[in-house]
Amino acid sequence: MRDPTQILTEPLLALQGVTKRFGSLMAVSDTSLDIMPGEVHCILGENGAGKSTLCNLIFGVHAPDEGEMRFRGEIYRPAGPSDALASGIAMVHQHFSLVHDMTVVDNVILGQQRGLVNTRAWAQRLERLANDYGFALDPYAKIDDLSVGERQRVEIIKCLIREPRLFVLDEPTAVLLPDEITALLAVCRRVSAGGAAVVLVTHKLVEIKKAADRVTVLRGGRVVARSNRPAEEIDALVRAMIQGDVKSLDKSAASTLGVGAPERVRNGPIPSETPTLEAVQIDGLTVIDNQGVTRLDHFTLAIGPGEIVGIAGVEGNGQSELAAALSGMLKPSSGRVFLGKLETTYLSPKELTAAGIGVVPEDRHAVGCVVEMSVAENIFLNRLDDFTSFGFLRRKELLGAARELMSRFDVRAAGPGIAFSALSGGNQQKAVLAREITLPKLTCLLAAQPTRGLDVGAVAAVYGHIRAASQRGSAVLLISSELDELIAVADRIVVLYRGRIMGNCAADPSERERIGALMAGQAQ
Amino acid sequence: MTWELFAVFIGSSVRLAVPLLLAGTGELVSERAGVLNMSIEGMMLTGAFGAAVGAWATGNPAVGLLIGIVAVVPIALLQALLSNTLRANQIVTGIGINILVLGATTLGYREIFGARSREQIPGLAKWSPPLLGDIPVFGEAVFQQVWLLYLGIVIIVLTALVLRYTALGIAIHAAGAEPRAADKSGVSVTRIRYMGVMFAGFMSALAGAFLSIGDIHTFTEGMTRGAGYLAIAAVIFGKWTLTGTVLACLLFGAATALQFQLPTLGVNVPNAFLIMLPYLLALLAVGGLAGRQTAPRALGEAYIRR
Repeated sequence: MRDPTQILTEPLLALQGVTKRFGSLMAVSDTSLDIMPGEVHCILGENGAGKSTLCNLIFGVHAPDEGEMRFRGEIYRPAGPSDALASGIAMVHQHFSLVHDMTVVDNVILGQQRGLVNTRAWAQRLERLANDYGFALDPYAKIDDLSVGERQRVEIIKCLIREPRLFVLDEPTAVLLPDEITALLAVCRRVSAGGAAVVLVTHKLVEIKKAADRVTVLRGGRVVARSNRPAEEIDALVRAMIQGDVKSLDKSAASTLGVGAPERVRNGPIPSETPTLEAVQIDGLTVIDNQGVTRLDHFTLAIGPGEIVGIAGVEGNGQSELAAALSGMLKPSSGRVFLGKLETTYLSPKELTAAGIGVVPEDRHAVGCVVEMSVAENIFLNRLDDFTSFGFLRRKELLGAARELMSRFDVRAAGPGIAFSALSGGNQQKAVLAREITLPKLTCLLAAQPTRGLDVGAVAAVYGHIRAASQRGSAVLLISSELDELIAVADRIVVLYRGRIMGNCAADPSERERIGALMAGQAQ
Repeated sequence: MTWELFAVFIGSSVRLAVPLLLAGTGELVSERAGVLNMSIEGMMLTGAFGAAVGAWATGNPAVGLLIGIVAVVPIALLQALLSNTLRANQIVTGIGINILVLGATTLGYREIFGARSREQIPGLAKWSPPLLGDIPVFGEAVFQQVWLLYLGIVIIVLTALVLRYTALGIAIHAAGAEPRAADKSGVSVTRIRYMGVMFAGFMSALAGAFLSIGDIHTFTEGMTRGAGYLAIAAVIFGKWTLTGTVLACLLFGAATALQFQLPTLGVNVPNAFLIMLPYLLALLAVGGLAGRQTAPRALGEAYIRR
């Protein structure tokens, strides 16, 4: 037994004045941090605050430009993840580091040994460890066949089987169901009780209340607050994180963060019980992919004018296919879609735009915009014809119109002529919204994961624009994996599970548990 | 068809498939590790040339084989360097290497042997396994083969075992399918991919040597005639599995053997069509029959740690 006071005084990992730049961007700036053995240390911060970069520095993915790290008192300079692993540091990555077409056990073996492999012995060890932590895992299942939650369990077991001294988890709860989050936090507590240190990166405050011993808050790459009693000082931590007062926050944005109780904010008109004519009517939409798997199964939904319908579900349960089919990027196998009286099932994206469907796509980089082009060109990408005479672009007029829209939608950029890629994620998303919401005719707005990766200010702005669109009478289909977001913004919620509608719920905090169960595929 | 003719057909199918089998196995390992090694054609040609010159100069075909292998090492290192360390386009660099090698071996051949020489070069000995070689009719026609063929079979079986039962096999799979995951699990993607390309080079050297000093005992300009590309097609046709690749190589070998067999059977098919047949099969295989989903996910993409 070591002297307990010594455990408290000697950090397992100490960062001193660590700085990391990417080009001109200061991702982490002069950050010092002590991680003690046996603690759960939460790193709190908004998107872009430098949390992931900090993790990657610890795990050896990046090397710091300045400053030094000490692990167990000795200088620690990992050349790559293999050095970190050899030192006893394991990490659960935000984007899992699993090989999808390999079995669970092969993924766990990867990088752990040389020579001949005794798969059966590894499988037994894996099952024993999983049982020990209270979750079931089939060692011979392919990763491709597992749900997101199960995949994360594999990722966790892969780390735990190495018996790490330091266990880093980068935003591990973003993709999990409520029950799974509780189980994960229990794992963290247990690992730290065994004497190892846990670094838990998050932007959700509930998790801090439940699990954290100490909290370090990052903003803009710098440490802006620390707390040894996080549960009691939560408001101060939030203020530090968002540089503002919780009370001044948009209520829905705040509840998405986990500040205070989830709260319904309904700005839009409450749709009448019997809408005269549905704005959007989706009838038995079915998508079968090229491997013959049914991704979306007879999806039927009617959305009235001004109504916001939320689609809840763990990612990969048909949401992407639904969005792609509705926006003309994917041909449905069967089913029909009507916009008012007009059938739009097989229209091309261009015809859909003309028919009045605005699309804020899930992956704004790949689908939503052309990052190499200017902001102005991106804002009017679907209407460049309006600014063209005799085949030539009237550039001045385009820039002027773009400037106006940018100020209306608070798109912050040096000017309308600069490259779209120079904008922050939040400003890019606001620009895409500006383009889609200002369509001459907007019967239906389809927004898929519109706030992913945005900071609180941008989230509030996006919600505001979505509500404004519904107030002007557009039907809104909001697809999100954040349940709190749906409860805060939508009028009602439809839960998707394995491509099927599991249930219809009111968007009310009291429905949270029921929706969570439906998302996990448990029918009532 | 008589049994004798059938035996000869089987024997020559196998013999003609050997260069494809060797090169195809090398290419498979390289592609499973994530490197689309187009220079396999050039590596084969280098191996064929090196082995021929070595056997001719020393009078010992086994030494020639070794020289062929050594000659391929710089080519394989160059391809590995370009596609991993320098992250150049793998297809373009591969084709570049092939053109370079074609020119270099042609030049070297003319300098050493003169423009139109068809000099006989000492070749590798034939061998037949005990018992199998004594089977009537089939024994001699099928099993009496150059010993390199049997060595090749042993290497292919060993490759299958490594891919299936070792940590290295798992690491190769991961490097080709999800290099980021491999890296973050502590596997050096660069090292695995270098090894894959080097192994492909080694196997192509054997394949090339089989052509020059195993089969026809001479070297001719550009004598691989697209066999390397056929090996790549075999990997695709075999859906990136070793068994599939081996079967595809045997099929292409049999298609080539038909060229010599059909005329003796009196079947009247234009000769040009028969010469075309293996390539036509390869084209069909790559174009439509084979599913594209089965390729290693990161095939052809250089890995950058981010």
